[in-house]
Amino acid sequence: MDAKRLEIARLFNRFAFGPRPGEFAAALKSSPANFKNSLLNPPVVDAGAPKEPVLADLGPRPAPKSADSEQFSQALRAQKNELTLWWLDQMVLTQKPLQERMVWFWHGHWATSIGKVNYALPMLTQNQTFRKHALGNFKDLSQAMLVDGALQVWLDGNENTLKAPNENLAREVMELFVLGVNRYTEKDVKELARALTGYQVPRSTGVVTLNQKRRDTGAVTILGKTAVMGGPEAISHLVDQADCQRFLAERIWYRFISSTQPLPKDHPLINALAGKDITQGLTTLLNGKDLANSKYSTVKSPVEWFVAVCKALELTPSQLNSFSKLNGYLDKLAQIPFSPPNVGGWPTDEAWLSSASAQFRIAFADWLVKQANLSTIQAITPGNRISYLADLLAVPEWTARTSTALGNLQNNLPRLVALAICSPEYVVSQ
Amino acid sequence: MNEIPTMSAEQLGMSKYTRRQFLKFSGAATAATAATVLSMNDVAEAAITRPLPLGTPILVVVTLYGGNDGLNTVIPYKDPAYYAARPDLTYKTETLLPLSDELALNPAMTGIKGLWDEKKVAIVRGVGYPEPDRSHFSSMAIWQTGSPKTHLSTGWLGRWLDTQKIDPMTSISLGSVLPPLLVGAKNSGSALPLGGLVIPSGVYAQACDQLSKPSRADNKLMAAAALSMRNLFSISGNITPILSQATQMSDDLPTVGGGNAGGDSNLTQQLNVVGKLIAAGAPTKVWSVSLGGFDTHANEANAQAALLGTVSTSITKFLSQMKASGRSKDITVLVYSEFGRRVRGNGSEGTDHGTAGPVFLIGDRVNGGFYGDQPSLTKLIDGDLPVTTDFRDIYSTVLEGVLLTPAEKVLGKWNGRIKAIKPV
Repeated sequence: MDAKRLEIARLFNRFAFGPRPGEFAAALKSSPANFKNSLLNPPVVDAGAPKEPVLADLGPRPAPKSADSEQFSQALRAQKNELTLWWLDQMVLTQKPLQERMVWFWHGHWATSIGKVNYALPMLTQNQTFRKHALGNFKDLSQAMLVDGALQVWLDGNENTLKAPNENLAREVMELFVLGVNRYTEKDVKELARALTGYQVPRSTGVVTLNQKRRDTGAVTILGKTAVMGGPEAISHLVDQADCQRFLAERIWYRFISSTQPLPKDHPLINALAGKDITQGLTTLLNGKDLANSKYSTVKSPVEWFVAVCKALELTPSQLNSFSKLNGYLDKLAQIPFSPPNVGGWPTDEAWLSSASAQFRIAFADWLVKQANLSTIQAITPGNRISYLADLLAVPEWTARTSTALGNLQNNLPRLVALAICSPEYVVSQ
Repeated sequence: MNEIPTMSAEQLGMSKYTRRQFLKFSGAATAATAATVLSMNDVAEAAITRPLPLGTPILVVVTLYGGNDGLNTVIPYKDPAYYAARPDLTYKTETLLPLSDELALNPAMTGIKGLWDEKKVAIVRGVGYPEPDRSHFSSMAIWQTGSPKTHLSTGWLGRWLDTQKIDPMTSISLGSVLPPLLVGAKNSGSALPLGGLVIPSGVYAQACDQLSKPSRADNKLMAAAALSMRNLFSISGNITPILSQATQMSDDLPTVGGGNAGGDSNLTQQLNVVGKLIAAGAPTKVWSVSLGGFDTHANEANAQAALLGTVSTSITKFLSQMKASGRSKDITVLVYSEFGRRVRGNGSEGTDHGTAGPVFLIGDRVNGGFYGDQPSLTKLIDGDLPVTTDFRDIYSTVLEGVLLTPAEKVLGKWNGRIKAIKPV
């Protein structure tokens, strides 16, 4: 396989939600180094970004069966749909694809579901926090997440008080967000829970405040350090641990390079994250050898697949002919933004490859392709369409099997394109 | 391409599962064969062409994700220490369903109470394993692999599958993701997604079929992607649809307070499908279903009652549905969760992660009653219940009593047994 094609395809597929028409061929003419440079140094102003939704505070939920109850539910649903469509649009239209890809990464890292949060407004705020810190410093992101209303609601931070500590947030901060499992003791979890007491958040706004009366102001001992710590001090202490740097490297490796092969022990990514600077880590990862190493393949998750298809076919999610159909397909493929299955985030790789998902993907592909303008492909002579599609979709190479299958359809454009985006070569980032 | 994640001992924290591995197994990435996702038609066809002989024991495993609060499932309703530890979390005494002078079932579990009265329910008390792990993901991995101390890449029922002849129908998990439970070294369970499959037809189907053929140029993931499509087309579209009636998808459960530790939400629907397929004669000896939402850190009483109500009603309905099929006497249901919860309420009207909890065995072949000692509420270890019964006692009993396989083949040497299963 052509190593340069492979590396550029992976850069597009894993770090940029796929190419727009012409982008892959242009990057190929240039060099991987130039393309990495453009990913890491996007335009300052995101000219592509859709307008952010303005969500009203819907206030507390009315009593069940009261007169306002039905209207409230409708407003809740409408905001949720608006939020989902906006983010999908943002993923497709942004001129800062690496930043957006990292927003998606952090969404899976600090995995918070609207299923429990209920309100769209705190989820939007969280999403904006991810974007603000997407490529910044993990120290800042962690501090921002400590007072993130959606995360506090999701992990019962509201309920964690001096009188009655609740460990939910503290445990996941240690296990899933900052350090990694088994890098702390049960005692550390209990002590961290004490340090994180006192935060309060109205569900509908997600604006976090600190109630001193509910705070545990006694000294705590966390990972060997004894002091009076509030939330910010405790988070700083955790982020300063060497395990945090390693954990971040592991998570980035897991999502971008391989979920089956472990991060090599002395991988340069670990050192690059010493200052917790995410851009520095990604720069090291992009400039390393892993992206040219053919053994590290991954599966595009359903949202990654959908966004890449939209970019290639110049579709805008909010302009598709039915939101409920779109939502239904994403639901059947088991990935709706803002609704991760649990606090551990989205599954990976083979989890997305069942016969059921293959079937739903075919139906989804048909539906999408029907709404796309295929005139550019139409203008290409049938014999050249398959290689054109490889560039359009950033596929490093079609197998003989797929070339044959697509060849049989080269005169039936919609079917040809639908099949190409359902091919193993496209579903997998090789 | 590696078949199994090769994690160093260090990365594993010496011998424990990392959550990443748990998810990996959840994704069935280590499945020995990738051909593990079935369509309803696959199972329906197998049920017609080679039905399970009547009288063959069947195991149905119900996994409760999130850590079910055992103390509010089987309630020590006469113990003052119980009321003292969790004043916000108790149910009205008159609503409890007494099982004995000391213990009562959660008020929502009327169905299972009925089965208890018929002596079809064994409740094993204080179940856990040494040195309890309070991480959802690590503890669930321990229960599902059946190995608390050493890291294994296979599930306990996966290793049982390894003792059987290779057949994707032998063990089926409902839902599109295979739990680690059913991953074996050379043989793995199959996943059966809910919802009917619509298969393309005509010229398009031929092209899809062509596209799904194996290619030597495929890497492991591409081969898996191709195979997932191929499975779609390996079944002719006109088998008598046993499941022609769409099942209800509206099992609307509260997730507030307990919804962030995984698991499915439609247990009723899963058991409904399992029931129809067993009745049709599916050649399947082990079924796996699940319910999530038990991570009740806050506002527990109502949320847990709703969840336990679903568990109780769906299992009761499933077993009664089985009577007409002539297979009800073959079925044993096992219900477990990754840990119980802290004895003391946390003040959010909920409980944090704990240790031991009850395990249920239900069915005609069960000797109803209590097994294992009720953990003392006054001799806690770090505020948690002491484990009185190792879960491997139950696994061994189920392996030998239900699956008719020497436990040693699956769990190694293990002496503990409970007498909860009647001999065949």
